Amino acid sequence: MPREIITLQVGQCGNQIGTEFWKKLCLEHGISKDGILEDFATQGGDRKDVFFYQADDEHYIPRALLLDLEPRVINTIQNSDYKNLYNHENMYIAQHGGGAGNNWASGYQQGQEVHEEILEMIDREADGSDSLEGFVLCHSIAGGTGSGMGSYLLEALNDRYGKKLVQTYSVFPNQQDGADVVVQPYNSLLTLKRLTLNADCVVVLDNTALNRIAENHLHIQNPSFSETNSLVSTVMSASTTTLRYPGYMNNDLVGLVASLIPTPRCHFLMTGYTPLTAERQGNAVRKTSVLDVMRRLLQAKNIMVSSYGRAKEASAAKYISILNIIQGEVDPTQVHKSLQRIRERRLASFIEWGPASIQVALSRKSPYVQTAHRVSGLMLASHTSIRHLFSRGVSQYEKLMKKQAFLDNYRKFSMFADNDLTEFDESREVVQSLIDEYKACETADYIKWGMEDRGKSMTDQGNASGTIDSRVPP
Amino acid sequence: MEPQQIAGPLRELVVKLLRSTDDGTSSTSSVPEASISRTYQYALRLLGSRISAPLASDEAAVVDSIKRSLIHKGRASDALTFSNLHQRLGGPPGPGKLGKRWSLLYLLKSIAEDRASDESSSGHGSSGFEWSISTPAAAGGLPARPFDSRSSTANGVSATSKKSHRSTEQLAQNESELRTDSTAQLAVAPKGNVDSRQAAYQEFMHIRHTDAQVSEQDLVRDVVYTCQGIDGKHIKFDAKADGFVITDSVRLPRGARLLILKLCELGWLYRRIRTYVSERLSPASLELVGQAFGSALQQELADYYRLMAVLEAQVQQKAPGPGELAGQSTGGGSYLSLRRLAVWLAEPLLRMRLMAILVDNCGSLKGGALASALHMHRQHGDPFVHEFIGQLLEKVCLPLLEMIRRWVLEGELDDGYQEFFISGDLSVGDDGLWRDCYKVRQAMLPSFISPELAHRILRAGKSINFLRGCCQDEGWAEATDAAAAAAPGALSLTSPSGTLGTLVEAADQRISARLVATIFGRYRFREHCLAIKQYLLLGQGDFIQYLMDLIGPDLSQPAGLVSKFKLAGLLEAAVRASNAQYDDSATLDKLRVKMLEHGDGDRGWDVFSLEYQAASPLSTVFTEAVMLRYLRIFNFLWRLKRVEHALSASWKVMKPNAAVVKPGRGNQESAKTLADELRRCHTLRNEMNHFVTNLQYYIMFEVLECSWSDFLAEVDAAADLDALIAAHDTYLDTILKKSLLGERSQQLCKRLFTIFDTVLRFKGFADRLYEIVRDIQHKQRRREAEVSARTGAGQWGSLGGEDEHHESLVQEQLDSIGRNLDAIAAEYSSLLEGFTDQLLVQQHVDLRFLSFRLDFSEFYTRQRADRASTPLKLRWPGLLGGQL
Repeated sequence: MPREIITLQVGQCGNQIGTEFWKKLCLEHGISKDGILEDFATQGGDRKDVFFYQADDEHYIPRALLLDLEPRVINTIQNSDYKNLYNHENMYIAQHGGGAGNNWASGYQQGQEVHEEILEMIDREADGSDSLEGFVLCHSIAGGTGSGMGSYLLEALNDRYGKKLVQTYSVFPNQQDGADVVVQPYNSLLTLKRLTLNADCVVVLDNTALNRIAENHLHIQNPSFSETNSLVSTVMSASTTTLRYPGYMNNDLVGLVASLIPTPRCHFLMTGYTPLTAERQGNAVRKTSVLDVMRRLLQAKNIMVSSYGRAKEASAAKYISILNIIQGEVDPTQVHKSLQRIRERRLASFIEWGPASIQVALSRKSPYVQTAHRVSGLMLASHTSIRHLFSRGVSQYEKLMKKQAFLDNYRKFSMFADNDLTEFDESREVVQSLIDEYKACETADYIKWGMEDRGKSMTDQGNASGTIDSRVPP
Repeated sequence: MEPQQIAGPLRELVVKLLRSTDDGTSSTSSVPEASISRTYQYALRLLGSRISAPLASDEAAVVDSIKRSLIHKGRASDALTFSNLHQRLGGPPGPGKLGKRWSLLYLLKSIAEDRASDESSSGHGSSGFEWSISTPAAAGGLPARPFDSRSSTANGVSATSKKSHRSTEQLAQNESELRTDSTAQLAVAPKGNVDSRQAAYQEFMHIRHTDAQVSEQDLVRDVVYTCQGIDGKHIKFDAKADGFVITDSVRLPRGARLLILKLCELGWLYRRIRTYVSERLSPASLELVGQAFGSALQQELADYYRLMAVLEAQVQQKAPGPGELAGQSTGGGSYLSLRRLAVWLAEPLLRMRLMAILVDNCGSLKGGALASALHMHRQHGDPFVHEFIGQLLEKVCLPLLEMIRRWVLEGELDDGYQEFFISGDLSVGDDGLWRDCYKVRQAMLPSFISPELAHRILRAGKSINFLRGCCQDEGWAEATDAAAAAAPGALSLTSPSGTLGTLVEAADQRISARLVATIFGRYRFREHCLAIKQYLLLGQGDFIQYLMDLIGPDLSQPAGLVSKFKLAGLLEAAVRASNAQYDDSATLDKLRVKMLEHGDGDRGWDVFSLEYQAASPLSTVFTEAVMLRYLRIFNFLWRLKRVEHALSASWKVMKPNAAVVKPGRGNQESAKTLADELRRCHTLRNEMNHFVTNLQYYIMFEVLECSWSDFLAEVDAAADLDALIAAHDTYLDTILKKSLLGERSQQLCKRLFTIFDTVLRFKGFADRLYEIVRDIQHKQRRREAEVSARTGAGQWGSLGGEDEHHESLVQEQLDSIGRNLDAIAAEYSSLLEGFTDQLLVQQHVDLRFLSFRLDFSEFYTRQRADRASTPLKLRWPGLLGGQL
């Protein structure tokens, strides 16, 4: 009765990072490219059945659905070494194969059209698990399929599996250089609305930051997708280690995210990983201490979201929660010391409206993978500065919207037919309120936030709270 | 002989000698008469020259002197032969008996000494005499040591020699009295001239003897008898006076009487010791150490007997012959006077006294206590006493040593009479073998064995028994063989650092190593500890989670309704579902459900527990008491886990995508207040969750993992089972203490459990709140659907009125829940405050870590500071229950 997690890979980006993720999992669990358990993989302790199911004693198959509206990426997978890994019934390629053309509306509508087929696949996969914990969606929010169809799937999952957890790994577009997709502000905004309303936990993977990390840390000029994708897969596999290597705590997704997400709306997590080295660099085993890892994880340059705004705003930004997953040979006594140092030096500032702390989970490292570092760490954090990422998206959207640019493509689809742009407005409103909520989180008065309107009427009845409080002596 | 009588033979002798030296072939006449007559004259002069032996003719003294010099030269056997020959020479008087034995012996001795002193030159015959004259030691005629050389030791020799020196002086004095002046005796004619002074002395002696009615000789014999515990003619044992007394009929001078009584002390002492020894050695007394003591004393007595035999012989030997005068004998060498006897017996008396003291003080003791007592007496400044008791102790300890050897090397407790300092309780079963079966019996612990050594001895044998009894291990024999080989040679108790220490150490080390290896290898100690950590200390998180999922519903029932069998089934299901399934089946078999005693109102949660049943050898470490402590930890962790589980579940209920109130729909105002209400619920949950998770992190890192790594290090270093047990106990203790289960943190723990209860109550309210909210949402949707349907049908969208009643009902419910939440929030914060306050004053430094973690972002510090400056009622500005 494992807490199974079904992965949905949607669109080009989603399938690419998903593939990388599965490659990594196979390596870590000692599963061959064909899904057969390797002979050496006898040192138990890992839990494969969260992400895999067993076709027979030796054969492990990922609980993954590969969905795309165009055949290219999935065909590549089908022709790769890993072609026998996946369940071919779990691959879906739109029959026309034309893709979504980087159009959210197209992706969304196509998703709607084929929802029966896809939901059937999901149902089948869900039936195959004893106690399904939730879904993981891998997609990008800029393109068409991942954003549009992904959005549709989020809504559909919400309806059908309302009690299951939905976590997404969402790749945010590169906002620095000229975007590859001109309409990505539209797509992003529309997807963000669904991520805000229909997902439980969004792990934000910012392409801008990924590129920066690839360039600065790995010294790769103009990093390719496959290189940034390997970063993503590292993050994905590291963030699931506590699920795959059971320990005293954080053995399920709920346990993992419940303490990361104190208020439901602020469920966007950013990640940091250290040490990051390209494979060709990592020849010497380096000695890394827990403190080193934890300190580096708090440094902006290791964080895979480039959302720090201007200096003034950055200084106001606060951590809502932090979870460090530390892998490798760690002396547990070091954890406390590291935490003390971090607090002494005030390396992290926390919200003021509630208690917060750096949580540390120690996890085993796969015995089958040799790494250059004895200790590595992943940070999952909820940080208010993420609102700048959204703000930038909104402002880019507004620029486009002002010009009413490229809207024709959207009007072709029923949602926006008859020039009905309320969906855009609604999305903007949702995202804006999200931004506001994050901003409110930076103040100590977050609990009072949103009550200002009633504030005046409240003052008359203010005694009510007083009497309630005084009833129970502190 | 008259000089005339001498002349003839002398001349003949001279002629004979000259001839033989000159030439065998030449005739008698060829020797010039002149040279013969010259030599004859010289010989005559020699004989007439009055060179005399400076000594009184004391034959015994000469004999002794010869014997002594022989022994001195290392020719003990010759000395023996000599004394034997001399004995035969001095057989019963009769025809053909050699007279003047003294003169002969003296001559022989002088010649021997002469030869020894001047090997190269023949020198003057007289030089030998002169030399012997000048040597007072020879004149003294030291008595040969009365003990056989075996029992004498270096110290003994010095002691006796000192004593004999003293006796020498005495004798010399005596003899100077007795001796005639220079004209008294010729060597060749000892009997010739008796001085008038000597005659007077003999007269005096005679008078003295006749005056006392009893001859000194009789007294001496009596004393010798007495010394052997036998009543003499004149000296008898008086039971009333508890001592020997001289019969009243005997009249003695005061000095002699005192001397006799003093000598008789020896007899008294002897009687005591003999009685004791015979008691000890009687078949009725079976105590080995006591017997050893007895036989050691017996040996001493045997030496004493030997001395007595010699003395007795001397007394008998010099029994006056029919024709001899008693007075003459006193002038002779071998008569034992009382004084001489006193000298002879001085040292035996010392020994006897010591032995009697030992018998008095230690005789009633047994076993190790006896050895202890002896050892105590041994601590004496006098080297003689020290040495003497040391010898006794060595013998007494032999059985003890044998016991130790058997115990240490074979694990056999060979102690039928409770003498050994290790006792075994056979009624104890295998489970308690290590802890309870064998003990050090303090009373029997010889004081020269240090407690550490005793402990090692105990452990070595215990380990063997444990290996044999509980582990069914045969390999220990190799270990003991190796140990025996490592410490060869005789054991010696009296030097604990010596061979005994080596043997014990060798055995203890090897056997302990063997035992630890067995416990680790065959009985997989580490694996069991790990399993206990995984299951009882919830280390196997996935398993615990499934277990909680599976049995949670059952445990919510009243304790009486919970079926143990069902739970056992569910336990198995949880094992199968989790990674625990890959664990060793032998380990999993040990995992059981345990239901505690339940009282009224207990729920399943209160009585459920997991149990790990360790099998025989390991149950020594995991005793029931230990498992009980594990049980307490398990219950605590389980409760904590349950709270965490509940909070996770409530997060799932209010999880983000269940965001029930979506802006832009329905009644804006009420939705917003509802959203506030929910946010407060969230923040409260967050606060609780923060507390619980941090408590868990603390438990995991600071308590479980740290203790575990310490424990592992200690286990690796452990050289014996005791160390293992100690390590494990420390491990458990630390966990108990750090996880607030210790004695000192009872209050804290109570408060913590109240917090847990509050959290669980919160969960109930939060669930209901969300239920209501869902209900509202559901109704809202239905209404919207209806409205849109109606609008679609061309009617008025809203009918109004019908929902009013319902809404007010809902409002009431929300109000009450809101109030309850407020109450819980207030209660929780006050509880938490109390908890953290108490935490700060805790002794254990690691508990500070907990408060550090709980207030990592200093939220509570700030809150407290705020509260200090602001009035209470503003603390929860948002707490306006049910402002819908």
